[in-house]
Amino acid sequence: MSKRIFQHPAEAQTGKRYWRSLGQLKDTPEFRGWLQREFPQGASELDSSDVSRRGFLQYMGASVALAGLSLASCRRPLKNLVPFTKAVEWSVPGKALFFTSMMPGRNGGMPLVVTTFDGRPTKIEGNPNHPVNKGATDVWAQSSVLDLYDPQRSRDVLLDGKKSDFASFEKELEAILKAAGDGAGLAFLSDGIVSPTRDRLRREVLKKFPKAKWAAYDPNGNPLERAAAEAAFGAGHEVVPRLDRADIVLTVDRDILGVEGDIASVRGFAARRKVDGPKARMNRLYVVENRYTLTGGMSDHRLRLAASRSGAFLKALAKEVAKLSGEQSLGALAGELKASEFKFKDRWVEECAADLWANKGKALVLTGSKQPAAVQALAIAINSALGALGKTLEVRKSNAMPSDSIESLAVELRKGKTAALFILGGNPVFNAPADLRWAEAQAAVKTVVHLSIEKNETSAKAQWHVPAAHYLEQWDDSFASDGSYVVGQPVILPLYMGINANELLARVAGVDAEPLGLVQKTFSDAAGGKLEPASWAKTLKAGYSAGSQAKPLAVGLSAETLSKLVSEAAPVRLPDGEFELVFIADSKVDDGRYANNGWLQELPDPVTKLTWDNAALVSPATAKKLGVETGDVVRITAGDKSVEIAALILPGHADDSVSVALGYGRSEVGSVGKGVGVDVFGLVTSSEGRFRVGVKLAKTGKRHALAVTQEHGALEGRGADITRQATVAEWQEHSEDKDFFKKMGIDAHAPPNFSLYTHPKLDDVHAWGMTVDLNSCIGCAACMTACQAENNIPIVGKEQVLNGREMHWMRTDRYFASEQGAEDEPEMVSQPMMCQQCENAPCETVCPVNATVHSEDGLNVMAYNRCIGTRYCANNCPFKVRRFNFFDYNQRSITELYRWNLISEKGTPETIQMQKNPNVTVRMRGVMEKCTFCVQRIQEAKIAAKVHAKDSGVQPRVPADAFTSACAQVCPTDAIVFGDIRNPESRVSKLKEEQRGYRLLEYLNTENRVWYLARIRNPNPKMPDASRAGAASRDAHGHPAGHGASNGGHA
Amino acid sequence: MAKSTVTLETPPELVRPPLVNNDRSIHWVTQNVSDIVESRTPKWWFLSICITSPIALMGLVCIIYQISNGVGVWGENHPNGWAWDITNFVFWIGIGHAGTLISAVLFLTRQKWRTSINRAAEAMTLFAVVCAGIFPAIHVGRVWYAWFLAPVPNTNAIWPNFRSPLLWDVFAVSTYFSVSVLFWYVGLIPDLATLRDRAKSKLARMLYGIGALGWRGGNRQWRHYEMAYLLLAGLSTPLVLSVHSIVSFDFATSIMPGWHTTIFPPYFVAGAIFGGFAMVLTIMLPASRIFPQLGDMITREHVDKMAKIILLTGSIVGYAYLMELFVAWYSGNKFEGFTFFTARANVDGKGWYQWSYWIMMFCNVISPQIFWFKSMRRNYIVVFIVSQFVNVGMWFERFTIIVTSLAQDFLPSSWGKYSPSTTEILTFVGTFGIFLTLFLLFMRFLPMIAISEVKGVTPEADPHHHHPKH
Repeated sequence: MSKRIFQHPAEAQTGKRYWRSLGQLKDTPEFRGWLQREFPQGASELDSSDVSRRGFLQYMGASVALAGLSLASCRRPLKNLVPFTKAVEWSVPGKALFFTSMMPGRNGGMPLVVTTFDGRPTKIEGNPNHPVNKGATDVWAQSSVLDLYDPQRSRDVLLDGKKSDFASFEKELEAILKAAGDGAGLAFLSDGIVSPTRDRLRREVLKKFPKAKWAAYDPNGNPLERAAAEAAFGAGHEVVPRLDRADIVLTVDRDILGVEGDIASVRGFAARRKVDGPKARMNRLYVVENRYTLTGGMSDHRLRLAASRSGAFLKALAKEVAKLSGEQSLGALAGELKASEFKFKDRWVEECAADLWANKGKALVLTGSKQPAAVQALAIAINSALGALGKTLEVRKSNAMPSDSIESLAVELRKGKTAALFILGGNPVFNAPADLRWAEAQAAVKTVVHLSIEKNETSAKAQWHVPAAHYLEQWDDSFASDGSYVVGQPVILPLYMGINANELLARVAGVDAEPLGLVQKTFSDAAGGKLEPASWAKTLKAGYSAGSQAKPLAVGLSAETLSKLVSEAAPVRLPDGEFELVFIADSKVDDGRYANNGWLQELPDPVTKLTWDNAALVSPATAKKLGVETGDVVRITAGDKSVEIAALILPGHADDSVSVALGYGRSEVGSVGKGVGVDVFGLVTSSEGRFRVGVKLAKTGKRHALAVTQEHGALEGRGADITRQATVAEWQEHSEDKDFFKKMGIDAHAPPNFSLYTHPKLDDVHAWGMTVDLNSCIGCAACMTACQAENNIPIVGKEQVLNGREMHWMRTDRYFASEQGAEDEPEMVSQPMMCQQCENAPCETVCPVNATVHSEDGLNVMAYNRCIGTRYCANNCPFKVRRFNFFDYNQRSITELYRWNLISEKGTPETIQMQKNPNVTVRMRGVMEKCTFCVQRIQEAKIAAKVHAKDSGVQPRVPADAFTSACAQVCPTDAIVFGDIRNPESRVSKLKEEQRGYRLLEYLNTENRVWYLARIRNPNPKMPDASRAGAASRDAHGHPAGHGASNGGHA
Repeated sequence: MAKSTVTLETPPELVRPPLVNNDRSIHWVTQNVSDIVESRTPKWWFLSICITSPIALMGLVCIIYQISNGVGVWGENHPNGWAWDITNFVFWIGIGHAGTLISAVLFLTRQKWRTSINRAAEAMTLFAVVCAGIFPAIHVGRVWYAWFLAPVPNTNAIWPNFRSPLLWDVFAVSTYFSVSVLFWYVGLIPDLATLRDRAKSKLARMLYGIGALGWRGGNRQWRHYEMAYLLLAGLSTPLVLSVHSIVSFDFATSIMPGWHTTIFPPYFVAGAIFGGFAMVLTIMLPASRIFPQLGDMITREHVDKMAKIILLTGSIVGYAYLMELFVAWYSGNKFEGFTFFTARANVDGKGWYQWSYWIMMFCNVISPQIFWFKSMRRNYIVVFIVSQFVNVGMWFERFTIIVTSLAQDFLPSSWGKYSPSTTEILTFVGTFGIFLTLFLLFMRFLPMIAISEVKGVTPEADPHHHHPKH
């Protein structure tokens, strides 16, 4: 056994120098030798030939233990991996350590705080210090920790698909660079991630190889928005919506609260949805879209319209706004509208425009990445006319360096003059537009180097594949969506020796490739050239550079280039009788990059509730026309290509339009993503963008099972019981009625509750409770993923989801509701649903073994050890939030659940074990589980309070809002609030007293500890569909929701 | 006789029909019942057990597979935490009601016609309870911890939850099983002695001898025996009512619409007797064909009386069904209304399991109405067919109650359909194998008819016996 040599880290350059011995101080050779010896005390004994029997056994035992338990067995140490011979004071086994970091993404870096236990990151939270995040994240950030530990991540350098090593790659790289000359034969394709260090290195590379080509491609990026912004404001500018300032928002084919937005937008929007009373002002959202999105779900008025008609809609709107504002140029820009383009209701446009105009300076019109640049430019022009520029729509300098498009790179590659292509992340073979035939273009290059975190389709077609480091493994930097500089700090050494793009570029540029140094250099360059350790430390601690936010610019609209862009664009028209095909960015796997992430695959899509698949979304009317049901496979033919994919009927979808999510049907992917969904990138063309018209749909007669977690989306007349809501007018009318929201539905008629049974007193100093604000919850499901990460919730696979056995402790219920006769225009409501922690819990009385009982602080707790799994508790739960381990999901592969337990393999990959939260039990089969209100966090806070109180005699009490549950922490809209309802200072105790507060199924006398805050709709009374708002909470007979509103007479 | 004497003759329409036909003698009874056990094993018996025991074995294999892999091999899911498992449990436990009712309640009410059917009915009860007991045991996620249900004193001072109806179930069913075994065995003692005395092989003499506990048929022995039998009958009678009442509490004390119903205890007891008698007839009718000599003891009178009980209990059950619908409407509770009118009866086309509800309605309420006609009650084929309807109907009743309430409850978001897995179906089929195998073994080795009791009701045993006029 060769002895490992530890390279001890260099001492910090600042502060006092501490030394362990005089030997270290002097740095004598003896001391160095002593350091090299791993076990100085016993080493001589082992070296001597006559090892005692006892000693031998001791060593054997120790090595077995180390081999099995230490991380050493799953990776090679790179450097500085030194076990603590003496515990350092900041590392307590079992106690979490928190580090700031950053997740790179297309909307900039997301500032994070990473929870680590004993050196392994387990959970990701948003950076609470950062003004954009304030502690919130999204589903991708939450699930990225699972990507880190994916056992099927790329581990080895591959040469033509065979295992190679870094040394050979470096040799090859050297040869390539030596032959490159001025770089004419070099090309780079970046994944579009913005990082100042990468950009700096790119400039270094281009300095060395001035003729090298640099392109960027992100399948779900929005280059057209940039094109429109540059046409309007000049090169290098971008526009940033400020939803926090907008009173009236109109989105046209833009899922700003979902896949086409970011946390800043969501937070900004939600800030304007917080209402503390009937007089509170809230924003109004108009949405024009082809399919239901999260944005549509939050709308006050929604117009379903084919994506290809969005341009015509904006033209009509521009005409109306021009009429109101008297701006001739805008009217001219809109041009003439042909009658055939006019497929929407006149009054809708008129009243919407009037509302926008009436709120001049506080209105905002947004359109999305699928729309051509001309349409996006038209939206900018309308915003300008509405006085939005500089107010609700900011113009600022873009942080992204301009790059070539993938189309121009493909042309270049085909010339066959490129010697080497470096693909930095991404997967163009899979997701480049089909008409580029990227794989062929790539094949024309002599050497393709693909740096990627996973072996994917592109790696299979590249000569060299180099494993990339996960963002939690290496130093990086970026700009947050507000433009502030954020540093990505590694929290674990690369598990599989991956390197990141910065390192690779540094090698190409021939500069020192030490990742920390690379980022520090960028940091110090920005600060004036010299690294200030104090300011670096401050930035690391805060996670971002305070005060580095981008400044809005006061740039005038250059009408000329804008009108040129608009007028030159050929209008897109959807002829009658034809279908349009809309490609949507997936809410889970994105462009396919997260296909091997089980949490994301099993996360129900926020709108369709579909897991482990993509589907062709069609409206009920279209489905009827085609004669298909959900699950029928349809053939979509676009041009000369076609795909077969299962249809899913989505209420509220535009007719004659079909939407399909991209990113599924990966072929070169780990076992989780294999065979999941259908690849529709084959139908994407670079010329037509993200929707195509003239598409044919045909039924094939085949069936495909779609694993939808919510079989039933209708409220069955129970809206007034479950998802209570009112319009602003209704609320104002009943502003004095304390019970307005409490006495709806069945609770309006039920007699007062009383109990014959004396319940044990819940007399702890704490009483945990939760409020969920339905008015600001957008239904994004970040809470579900956060809960999954925090509570070690296993995934169960498609087959089990089809069987209704998904394990999510919380779910986001999504309902569609409509008035009779208006089924085509349903309203959508999202409702997070978790254990309601009933004080009078029906599950507790029925458990025969006392496995679920009540704690004094009001938790309905589960004793997993005691549970025998009768499932009686789950049956008796009115909210059906209990989850049963039908199989040993943690021990067995989800593909082998039905094989005899005795012959199938058991165990969890070691890396997956590393992700588990050590403070939460990993449940075995046959055991019931459910939301615990994150009892581990509660206990930690209580212990901290106890330690704080010590012997003072004061009763330990957790200060108000000192901590929160995982779902509340992640929530980007602050819709979920958790805390101590007995503490009058806590947010939750105030929120639950609001007039909007109600508890589910009050008449059952379960005394829930979760209060929902009713949703308020803010319709424009002049709109033609104003009367429909709030349909979801009216009963089947169309009575208004409030008891007092309609049947006050017969109470 | 002189005309002036007052005739004590019973009018012919009030003459009780004899319980044993053809004026059979006491010896004939002993001879013919013992003969089934003593004669050579018939071929059909071998053939039957060769079919039933592999089925039982298959059930066993399914159970082992289920225990080793997890409950997931069944079709249960969220929200349907229970489905076939508890349906089968309640189905079998219901069947197990007829035996005790016949042997205990009819004994106390001096219904002498019970004598020729009580032994087999009791055996059937025991075997049905054995089958019933399988399901609650294996349906739990961790069978190896099922002993947590027992109130074992322990250092952690953790007791079972005495508020849980499932725990009451454990006590109720185990009590019922033990009392039933005891009752059945006590009844067997004199007959085992008969078999011992008649046995030709040494082994049989020894085994029956052990079972007979030294029975000599002495006066004192009979006195003690009858007192014990009476006491056990008294003990069993409340159990007949309690077991199924407690089983119904599993549902009635919950808060699920369709379960939370105060009518459940009497309705379940009536249903259990209803289903139990159907199963008695299912077994007895073929048995009396296979052994023609039993025809004089199991007569059309018996079948007629059992059919009447089926008609009565079936009508009680039917009343309960209708009352549930009425209460669901009258309460004005939309969740209750939905469960009964939509999820079950499916009046608006949104329910998922209306077929189950209407099968139940037809089999349990409509089909027994044919027994208003005496000719139908006495027609073995009709009775057999209706019994099968009742067996099916009673299974569907439990399925309807369990699954429709769970599949579509309060929040539409959590609704989910249920369908059984192959393992689940085969496990249920397997319990029929176990049931029939045990019954075949019983027929072969123990007297199917209570010899000593039937002897007591033969015309010959009547102290006022005189031959009726021919």
